[in-house]
Amino acid sequence: MADALKGALGAGEASREQRRGTLILGGALLALGLRRVSFGSAALALTGGALLYRELARRPGQAGAKTSEVTRSVTIGRSADELYGFRRGAGHLPRVMEHFAVITETDQDRAHWTVHVPGGRSFSWDTQIVDDRPGELLSWQSLPGTELPNRGEVRFRPAPGDRGSEVTLHLHFQPPGAAAAKALNGLVPRTLAGDALRRFKSLVETGEIPTLDRNPSGRAATA
Amino acid sequence: MRALCWEGVNDLRVQTVPDPEIVNPHDVILRITMSTTCGSDLHFIDGYVPSMVPGDVIGHEFMGIVEDVGPEVKKVKKGDRVVVPSFVACGDCWYCQHDLYSLCDNTNPNAELQAPLLGYPTGACFGYTHAFGGYAGSHAQYMRVPHADVGCFHVPDGLRDEQVLFLSDAAPTGYMGADFCDIKPGDIVAVWGCGGVGLMAQQSAFLLGAERVIAIDRFPERLKMAREHIGSETINYAETPDVLAILQEMTGGRGPDACIDAVGMEAHGTGPGYLYDKALQTLRLVTDRGQALRQAIMAVRKGGTLSILGVYGVMDKFPVGVIMNKGLTVRTAQQHGQHYLPRLLEHAVKGELDPSYLATHRFSLEDGPRAYDMFKNKEDGIVRAVFTP
Ligand SMILES: [Zn+2]
Ligand SMILES: [Zn+2]
Repeated sequence: MADALKGALGAGEASREQRRGTLILGGALLALGLRRVSFGSAALALTGGALLYRELARRPGQAGAKTSEVTRSVTIGRSADELYGFRRGAGHLPRVMEHFAVITETDQDRAHWTVHVPGGRSFSWDTQIVDDRPGELLSWQSLPGTELPNRGEVRFRPAPGDRGSEVTLHLHFQPPGAAAAKALNGLVPRTLAGDALRRFKSLVETGEIPTLDRNPSGRAATA
Repeated sequence: MRALCWEGVNDLRVQTVPDPEIVNPHDVILRITMSTTCGSDLHFIDGYVPSMVPGDVIGHEFMGIVEDVGPEVKKVKKGDRVVVPSFVACGDCWYCQHDLYSLCDNTNPNAELQAPLLGYPTGACFGYTHAFGGYAGSHAQYMRVPHADVGCFHVPDGLRDEQVLFLSDAAPTGYMGADFCDIKPGDIVAVWGCGGVGLMAQQSAFLLGAERVIAIDRFPERLKMAREHIGSETINYAETPDVLAILQEMTGGRGPDACIDAVGMEAHGTGPGYLYDKALQTLRLVTDRGQALRQAIMAVRKGGTLSILGVYGVMDKFPVGVIMNKGLTVRTAQQHGQHYLPRLLEHAVKGELDPSYLATHRFSLEDGPRAYDMFKNKEDGIVRAVFTP
């Protein structure tokens, strides 16, 4: 894997950034899928792997700047103001996203993201809050120069009855290849967005995120 | 610690695995004192439901003594003897607050795997497939129980372990099935299936005021249990050509006021969507169970209730027209144990509910594979195999 990455990254200066972007996502998804051993994660790993494979197999220079978008919603039993406050609170974002990326909040509006991929490599980018409407909406985007341009927005609005708030997460990637964009339109970003929303909901509603960390199993056992 | 692990289709092994630890603040570690087999385990043992991973610790019906508590646990202390429902519930989400505990939004770490199969994910079940959470199960010496204040119920002194064990799963499932029937004085309830859940549904129907209970099964020793321990009237469908006609004669031509389907399954663990993946097996499953469900739909009186505890997949030939024209009410769920446990413990203390007769066979944990083999093949009149780790 490390050699494959290195070889791919070394090919052609023009497409280098684009190719790296896809490799980051593919590798990250593969890593994510492999870490969470289960059948849906296997699908995740396969998709990530397919993404990597397609990028490695693709000849440089045929990239189209297609975008990939996903929108997911969840209802959380808290007011929009409370949810906005939670999202804005220090440390909340890194915890919600820790299954995918290591996030350091550099100040109130900026965060540094690092995603580890197979082969011991890691990739990073910074995001900046670009729109902030308390109790209603928060949107951010990656700073120029990143290998994986992306932006996102989270919107809060009251749910009917005693149900709390409807929270909508919208993610927008600019993966560098058409094939990658196509792949990204499928399961993977939906799963990432869905996981992020569910983890946020669980943390807010229960004070913890459900996890299989250190779950006993006979997978590494001696009989 | 030692634990019974699923290593592949029809391949269970007792292995040494890492001890569980407190991971989240509302966790406790339970020392398992008793754990039992469940019919729904057989579906992944036989390979009918996917998303098991070799090495998974199985078992979801259990009780034990609290060994360690997380920093946010308030109602449960080290040393408490508790019984725990098989579905994990947070107590905080909208579903938990509306007593729909098995539909909990916050306990399934693999919710995103399950959502595409069901539309929306359910709560997690201990010791079951990864789509149902993937938490390590109870056929082990120790076990991690998340959201312990919601899931752990104190066992009153004076109740023996085997009187309480089945309050984890079979009893609340059966009780819920009877509760769904909204039983009124004079009502006759028919129950398909005399496994652990079916027997508990019959007993619960009486507890909730049924005039008569009619049990349908094909194993003579199970039917005998229904008669002797519960007082049900019984029909052995292997010996009679027309169950429907017999039920009609037994009820003055009206039909049972409510029919409970507890066939073959112990009512939880597998979700409908799973069965898409194994079409052939599904057909086999659905063919068997479909007969009982269709029979129940035909047998129930007009305007009556159909309560489904058995697990179904993509069933074809589902007679929705019969349901519609007869004006039936259909109710079904995985067990909402947290809702029923206080009531069940009260019945147990008063001596009105003692499911200990279900524990027909005892094994050590080391004998787990042999126990499941006997349980699967219904050898020696086994109803439930009980492990004392
Ligand atoms: Zn069960
Ligand atoms: Zn809940």
